[in-house]
Amino acid sequence: MMRTRFSLPVLAALAAAGFLLAAGILMARYEDRLYTDQQVKNTNEQAHILAASVAGAVAFDDARAAQEYVDALTANPELLAAGVFDEQGRRIAGFSRAGPVPTRPGNSGYANGHIDVAVPVSQNGAALGTVFLRAAAEPAQRRIARYIGLVLLVTMGALVIAVLSFSQSALSRRAEQLSQVNRQLQAEMRERARTEEALRQAHKMEAVGQLSGGIAHDFNNLIMIAKGNLRLLRKRLDPPAEQPLHYISSVEEALDRAAHLTQRILAFSRRQPLTPEPIRLSGLVTDMDALVRHSVGENIGIETRLDAAWWTRCDVNQMENVILNLAINARDAMPEGGKLTIATRDISLHHAPGDVADFAPGDYVALSLRDTGAGMSEDVKSRAVDPFFTTKPLGKGTGLGLSMAFGFVRQSGGYLTIDSAPGQGTEITLYMPRTLPRTEEAV
Amino acid sequence: MRPRLLLSVVLSALLATTASLAQSSLEYAVKAAYLAKFAPFIEWPQSAFAGPAAPLTICILGPDPFGPEFDKAIAGQKDGDHPLVARRMTALDPAVTCQILFSKDEALAEQALAEMKTRPVVTVTDSGLRAHGMISFLVIDNHVRFDVDEAAAVSVNIDISSKLLGLAHAVHQKGAR
Repeated sequence: MMRTRFSLPVLAALAAAGFLLAAGILMARYEDRLYTDQQVKNTNEQAHILAASVAGAVAFDDARAAQEYVDALTANPELLAAGVFDEQGRRIAGFSRAGPVPTRPGNSGYANGHIDVAVPVSQNGAALGTVFLRAAAEPAQRRIARYIGLVLLVTMGALVIAVLSFSQSALSRRAEQLSQVNRQLQAEMRERARTEEALRQAHKMEAVGQLSGGIAHDFNNLIMIAKGNLRLLRKRLDPPAEQPLHYISSVEEALDRAAHLTQRILAFSRRQPLTPEPIRLSGLVTDMDALVRHSVGENIGIETRLDAAWWTRCDVNQMENVILNLAINARDAMPEGGKLTIATRDISLHHAPGDVADFAPGDYVALSLRDTGAGMSEDVKSRAVDPFFTTKPLGKGTGLGLSMAFGFVRQSGGYLTIDSAPGQGTEITLYMPRTLPRTEEAV
Repeated sequence: MRPRLLLSVVLSALLATTASLAQSSLEYAVKAAYLAKFAPFIEWPQSAFAGPAAPLTICILGPDPFGPEFDKAIAGQKDGDHPLVARRMTALDPAVTCQILFSKDEALAEQALAEMKTRPVVTVTDSGLRAHGMISFLVIDNHVRFDVDEAAAVSVNIDISSKLLGLAHAVHQKGAR
């Protein structure tokens, strides 16, 4: 990512510089060519003028006159050498700026940076001799100056492009960094909001749990006192009369129900005394099969997928309670019948499953109950584990089933998640921490 | 500068030696070459020729000092469309049209000059004669040069190129007469 972003402008700069260079070279070559052509033309003209001028001198072998004409040409600094030859090829006059004076007329052409021009000397159609001129193609310093100018131009152009593209890439890099930081910030804000929500929920549960737990605890003691005194009363009744005994039994039954209620409140508030022991949930579900089938009734099919092999540690009675409660919830969600799927599986969690607070990564045994019922709205789902919250008609539910399950699971070091949407059914999953079996009877 | 000076010294020395060794033969070889090369620098009036491609005749009146050398020099040469032709005559012949007439004989030269005074013929006289044609040879420092009587040429509508005039040793200017 960084590489491509970085190299694209550099490539563009290189390409532009290359293009500039190529264009510059082409222009220089063209100008060279133009200049050379012009120089060839000039030299040709000069040669013709000289040829016309020296015609008489060549015809009448007047070396002095010929030399005078040739010497006049030396004023032109670009002329390197000249020669005037008669028809037999003998030189009559000549000069050279450097090196030997040409001894015979060469061929016209452009070679080795100089231009050779040979022009016949004739008078009225009569061939008299030849004039030969050699001119510099272009003064070296002029050419060098031109090329230096070109190089400067190309360098400046490339530099400008490079600076522009570098600043451009720096800008876009910074913008990219900014937007990345922004995305990160937003993700963190969302995460934080989620965590806060989970924490608030946990605090709420904690507070409600403490409050109701405290009340339930005291209430339980009061019930125990009432029950104890009832027992004493029953013993002291002499003779045992049927009518009073019946009243006593009724009160005792009511007290038992009250005790049961307080037990559930205590379970939710995680204050119930638990006796955890290693257990395989798959085995527990198998053992409970008949009970669950009996509880949910005929018109709900039960499917079990028990893939978990790991052990977990929890209070078996309470776990049975929870499973039964959840199964009954599922049944109530499917009054028209449906299917209940009970599944267990081993899972290694690295991230919190759903919105759970205080998550610790590790190995868990997951137990899930999925129904094909009405499902829950978002609002209902968020309050599902609140104690005394129920969607059932008045008198049908206590609103303590899920909250008790939640409290129990949390007290056992596990997590409870709810996956539900209206019309999609509901899946409640318990994640119980893995534990090692007491003996080698595993798998 | 030094090599050029040396070259000219050697050249002139060489020329001087050859000139003194075979003066007359070399002298007339040069004169023959000159005589053959005058034509391109001279413009005759149209009336001087029988036609546009008629030959340009160079007549040698009297004794011929050139021999076959001259024929060799003009062989295949042309002045414009006029091929150069040599003709040797012992006496003036009115039937023969010459464009250039050379003579080294004093008497014949005098006669020819008088005869050709009004005709478009370039008279050439040898060095050492008292008579002077439109072009007269002379020898200076062992070099063959020539004088030009431009006035005489102009009087018969013959135009002599300035290039030739520029090379002449002396020019009798037109309008001086």
